[in-house]
Amino acid sequence: MIPLENFLILSGFLFAVGLYGVLARRSAILILMSVELMLAGVAINFAAFAAYLDADGFSGMIFALFVITVAAAEVGLALGIVLRLFRERRTSYVDAANTLKW
Amino acid sequence: MFERLPVPAQFDRLIVAGGIVTGVILGPVFLVLLSLLLVGRISAPELVFWLGFTVIVIGALGTVLLQNIVHAAFALIAALIGVAAMYLLLASEFLALVQVLVYGGGVVLLIIFALMMTNAQDDPIVTDGSQKPFAFIVTLLFGAVLVAAAVNVQWGAESVSLITFRDFGTRLFHDFMVPVIIVGVLLDIALSGAIVNARPNIEEHSEETTQ
Repeated sequence: MIPLENFLILSGFLFAVGLYGVLARRSAILILMSVELMLAGVAINFAAFAAYLDADGFSGMIFALFVITVAAAEVGLALGIVLRLFRERRTSYVDAANTLKW
Repeated sequence: MFERLPVPAQFDRLIVAGGIVTGVILGPVFLVLLSLLLVGRISAPELVFWLGFTVIVIGALGTVLLQNIVHAAFALIAALIGVAAMYLLLASEFLALVQVLVYGGGVVLLIIFALMMTNAQDDPIVTDGSQKPFAFIVTLLFGAVLVAAAVNVQWGAESVSLITFRDFGTRLFHDFMVPVIIVGVLLDIALSGAIVNARPNIEEHSEETTQ
């Protein structure tokens, strides 16, 4: 039997690594990939608590499913924004998006 | 070997190099875990857990540390497949399948498409900002807090119950009907917004020139 702490440590590690990527990267697409890592860590956390501590074991799984769905929607929308930024500024680096209106 | 495949010349080198790196790193880990299993120190689920743990750690670190964006995208695939293995260990086979389909299939494909369309030649190679040390310190502190919080708490009784496909679908569309509808509307709005956002709109540009 795997202890619950192992899954919690894994999800904490994934979230922290994703946070590092979000803070340190400059390319918008790489920031988006790091956000995906953070969301995966959160979803593991939900699923682990649901499987171990909830006798029903269902609500957490549903939340993990919704996290995956919302992440897919977010990727689609964010990549549209990245394409728009690239068309306006000829680069996908977030340093270039330094004005609110142009 | 890859000459007959319709892939760019850079890709076959990428595949071969990625396979070699994966084998060199994961092979010894797998052998050590297998010997531990044969000796009886760990059980079979624990072997799968630590193998998936290794894959996730290497994939996640590769995603945030590699300088080449395409290499980072491939490392992201590895990390997300490892997460699917974790869902299997948590007795939720449906989530594991959804993870492989949506992430390994859809999300990473979208990301690679966006990479192809935003490949600017004059972008500098360095993809990290100068705020790297600051980000590292923040991440270290944050991760330490998370791990300490997870280890120090006494959690309740542990019980793993397998959720079958039929059960999952029935309860999802019965008990959680309203959230499913809301998520459907959210997906619709997000994808419409993505199309509107990424579409080249001629009117706006002509307005800008007249101003």
